[in-house]
Amino acid sequence: MADIGIAAEPVDLELAEQFTTKAQQREAATLGMWAWLVTELLLFAGLFLCALILRIQHPQSVTLVTTHLKFWIGATNTVVLICSSLTMSAAIVTSRLGWRRFMLGALLATASLGSLFLLLKGFEYYQDYDEHMMPFLADRSYVLAHDQASVLFLDVYYITTGLHGVHLITGISILLWLTWKASRPAFLQTHQNRIEIYGLYWHFIDLIWIIVFPVLYVLNR
Amino acid sequence: MSPLDTVLRDPDTPRITLDRPADYLHAQHTLRSWFFTTDHKRIALLYLASITGFFILGACAAGLVRLSLVVPNGQIFSNDTYNKLFTMHGVIMIWFFLIPSIPATFGNFLIPLMIGAKDLAFPRLNLLSWYVFMLGSLFTIVVLIVGGVDTGWTFYAPFSTTYSNTYVIPALVGVIIVGFSSILTGLNFVVTIHKMRCPGMTWFRMPIFVWTHYAVSLIFLLGTPVITLALMLLVMERAFHIGVFDPRLGGDPVLFEHLFWFYSHPAVYIMVLPGMGVVTELVAAFSQKRVFGYKFVAYASIGLASITFLVWGHHMFVNGQSQLASTVFSFLSFAVAVPSAVKVYNWTATIHKGTIRLDTPMLYAMGYIGLFVLGGVTGLFLATLAVDAHLHDTYFVVAHFHYIMVGGTMLAFLGGLHYWWPKFTGRMYPEAWGRVGAFLIFIGFNVTFFPQFILGYLGMPRRYHSYPPEFQLLNVLSSAGSTILAVGYFFPLGYLIWSLWFGKKAPANPWQAKGLEWTTSSPPPAHNFLRTPVVDYQPYDYANKTRDNG
Amino acid sequence: MSGPASPADYPLLLWPAAASSAAAHVDYLISAFTAVTLLLTVPIFLAITWFALVYRANRKVYRGNPTDRNVMVEMSWMLIPFFLTLGFFAWGAQLFDVSKHPPGNAMVIQGIGRQWMWKFQHPGGQSEINDLHVPTGQPVVINMISQDVIHSLYLPAFRVQTETLPGRYTQVWFTADRPGAYRLYCSEYCGTDHSVMDGEIFVMKPGDYENWLNQAGSTQSLAANGKRLFASYGCTGCHGAAATVRAPSLAGLYEKPVPMADGGTVIADDTYLRDKILNPDHDLIAGYKQVMPSFNGIIPEEQLIQLIAYIKSDQEPVR
Repeated sequence: MADIGIAAEPVDLELAEQFTTKAQQREAATLGMWAWLVTELLLFAGLFLCALILRIQHPQSVTLVTTHLKFWIGATNTVVLICSSLTMSAAIVTSRLGWRRFMLGALLATASLGSLFLLLKGFEYYQDYDEHMMPFLADRSYVLAHDQASVLFLDVYYITTGLHGVHLITGISILLWLTWKASRPAFLQTHQNRIEIYGLYWHFIDLIWIIVFPVLYVLNR
Repeated sequence: MSPLDTVLRDPDTPRITLDRPADYLHAQHTLRSWFFTTDHKRIALLYLASITGFFILGACAAGLVRLSLVVPNGQIFSNDTYNKLFTMHGVIMIWFFLIPSIPATFGNFLIPLMIGAKDLAFPRLNLLSWYVFMLGSLFTIVVLIVGGVDTGWTFYAPFSTTYSNTYVIPALVGVIIVGFSSILTGLNFVVTIHKMRCPGMTWFRMPIFVWTHYAVSLIFLLGTPVITLALMLLVMERAFHIGVFDPRLGGDPVLFEHLFWFYSHPAVYIMVLPGMGVVTELVAAFSQKRVFGYKFVAYASIGLASITFLVWGHHMFVNGQSQLASTVFSFLSFAVAVPSAVKVYNWTATIHKGTIRLDTPMLYAMGYIGLFVLGGVTGLFLATLAVDAHLHDTYFVVAHFHYIMVGGTMLAFLGGLHYWWPKFTGRMYPEAWGRVGAFLIFIGFNVTFFPQFILGYLGMPRRYHSYPPEFQLLNVLSSAGSTILAVGYFFPLGYLIWSLWFGKKAPANPWQAKGLEWTTSSPPPAHNFLRTPVVDYQPYDYANKTRDNG
Repeated sequence: MSGPASPADYPLLLWPAAASSAAAHVDYLISAFTAVTLLLTVPIFLAITWFALVYRANRKVYRGNPTDRNVMVEMSWMLIPFFLTLGFFAWGAQLFDVSKHPPGNAMVIQGIGRQWMWKFQHPGGQSEINDLHVPTGQPVVINMISQDVIHSLYLPAFRVQTETLPGRYTQVWFTADRPGAYRLYCSEYCGTDHSVMDGEIFVMKPGDYENWLNQAGSTQSLAANGKRLFASYGCTGCHGAAATVRAPSLAGLYEKPVPMADGGTVIADDTYLRDKILNPDHDLIAGYKQVMPSFNGIIPEEQLIQLIAYIKSDQEPVR
């Protein structure tokens, strides 16, 4: 290995008692995460379907809502999440090489990019609130009240982004916990594949946003 | 053959002669060792205990419903109490008993044993799913008992989101939580079946029981997220007036019916498929014969799991759904008959020329086949468009799905419980008592539910607290049957608990059955097998008398 | 109400009364289907019992040549029952098709479901609660809507039911042919008093029905009532003949295609007209500026039905 001044640690997997080989354990964990992601995808697919149906049924109302959404915050957030996927990939690559410090840095960078996303999203919600774009608040007027169908699309917007936000909050919490675990010296020797499995989940959150953004913000604009 | 193999495969070898690890029940004794166990067998027993408790609660609610219906004018309970009772019965029985019943208990216990694995792929996830299940179900059950919910288990909007004055949100939250437990269980099974099979255990050497659980796990994974979403939207609409289903808020109530049945029709197969798996095992073991058309039966399981996602619209023939959609859904529902018929005829052919013992599990299996067939063909009646226009939401539907779920799943559950009881506990149940119980349940069930077919055809709508007086005679008959059924249920409940302490010690293979689960001791050791099994023979290898346990 | 015995007089019923020829057809269908399914399933019951007795473990019988697969046999018992039952699918679909298409000369009765009662309005304006009177020999369409949750109007004597949805009209139709009193129910669970949301449907000879209509009395027909409302809600101000605002004329509009602003067309049926009154901003019409106020929450369901009845009846161009 080329000497680049980083101490490489041994990388391995601790065999859990229910498995016979490490390859089996690795494959099982990967398949398990994929199965989970399929169910997650179906959860979001229902919402995407709702959004598309609304688009066909009430095109004018949907256009009205999308012009009120903060396109640029959404676009920035897309970039932020893509960058976080990049740092997550870096964490995976470095974990394979055994560069623990590098990996920890990449994990923390991923978590902070995720948090930046949430901050921006929160700011966007605040702007929506400010512009009277929250029809479900009973004591606050709604700016598009003349268009009943717009409420539906806006509801789908809040539910979808809210659900995505919940996933991101969960993701960041797990990520921080994982970083704390991985900061221990023996981690890479026993649980390196957790980083890889977790990486799948993080990429998935990113992928969902990459679908959310065009479906909610861009189409019909 | 090594001495170890001999003791594994020969039930008559005295057990004390070898220095062997303690079985999973006696490996540890603390309470902690039960509640923090990662052993799939112990987790299965945790599930078994909890769902038995839930079943008793649901059955009590059913008993009170039948009591109320003895008189036509509904004097016994008030209308709201009645509505809460049938909701309690439906919610508990479907979400907390039938859906987890066979997969979470038998599936959990037996899948690793049947494919020769030490445990499920993710033992801690397995324990987590039991805790998630308990959290959700206990929460909802407390809500149902203390506050009450009157929406029926179907939670139709906009009634559930706007008009009901009961505790709908907490009840829904519990059901959503339980959904996660289903997903985790399904995920665990899929990965286990894919990755944990022992050497030589190819896909077509797996018992049908495993095939059906694979199919069920796919439904768990693909269907549950949709119901989670639908129920979450209900909660949001009720709590925050985010309009999705209520037309007053701009929503569409039919959308909820679509989302709900997209899961809840496959949910029927979550309940039915594992029962089919159990019955296949029972029929083969008590006929001492290889399953007729093994591959067809295996494919039929996957076929059922696939078609079931395409027929949800048959719950909506009368809600103004387009005629074309209704016709297509009707046709696809008829197609469900194909894999179902395969199963039934193949069971019959398996019994042909068998060496048949009519022990309790076999009695349950035969009862299952009869009742499942009746439930199935009445399902075809309901899939016929013009007939459904008459029978939809009547007692005919009630009778139909009880034939499938009680006559089907419940009998399979009881049959399987008797069959694997020696494996679970190391004790035999008393055979004579078992047969009496099986007969009582069969008779009680038919007296309870057959009159409901007639009531339905006469036009008695379901969920009626009071009803026209001309229906009283049949209702009294049905209620009378339910008391027989209740007495029948007390039989297994009583003698199975009795047998835990006083039952005869069970040998490793009391039924001379094939299958890896019978090659290890009863009850099995902590990691199932003393050494990893290797399979070099076909499933249900009954023709080969010398192998395994000759 | 004199007439045939009420259904409550029978102590034990085993077959429901049929009051229309369509109901008799459904009865034929289910009888034939029952016969075929018995043909397919009784052999299973007999075989299982027979095998279980003959091949018991302690009996010495010939068990030679057992087979564990036979593709031809399996294919045949998989497909033959399927094709046999497909006949009933087709039969059921055909009857359903008829039940979806009321004849053009049908009489339309308006129905409203709400927790927990039915209200029916005859074309002449007579209204009744929970009970319904209809003549024999005359196709009757019940055009229904719900004011709150989902209900379902179930008429077992005609073997039909249709859900009554909030926000959308649905129809059920029948031609009664046997005078008598029959049950009608709400069959979709709708809350506390779901089980008393029922009544009786009285099928009468046309002459008796005329008498009943006269007795029931009504000052104005639905359409006439609607015309009055059309003026009192100020609709005439824009849609009337003397209107100054440029709004589309509603004369002759019913069941005609309407061009939409986004290029499509929509058929102006009951649900469309109702939507347009309540949410005029929705689905804009080509060539008009949207200035109409929403009447959501202002016009009750019953008056909406009368307004639509008026628009339907107003077939001559006004402008």
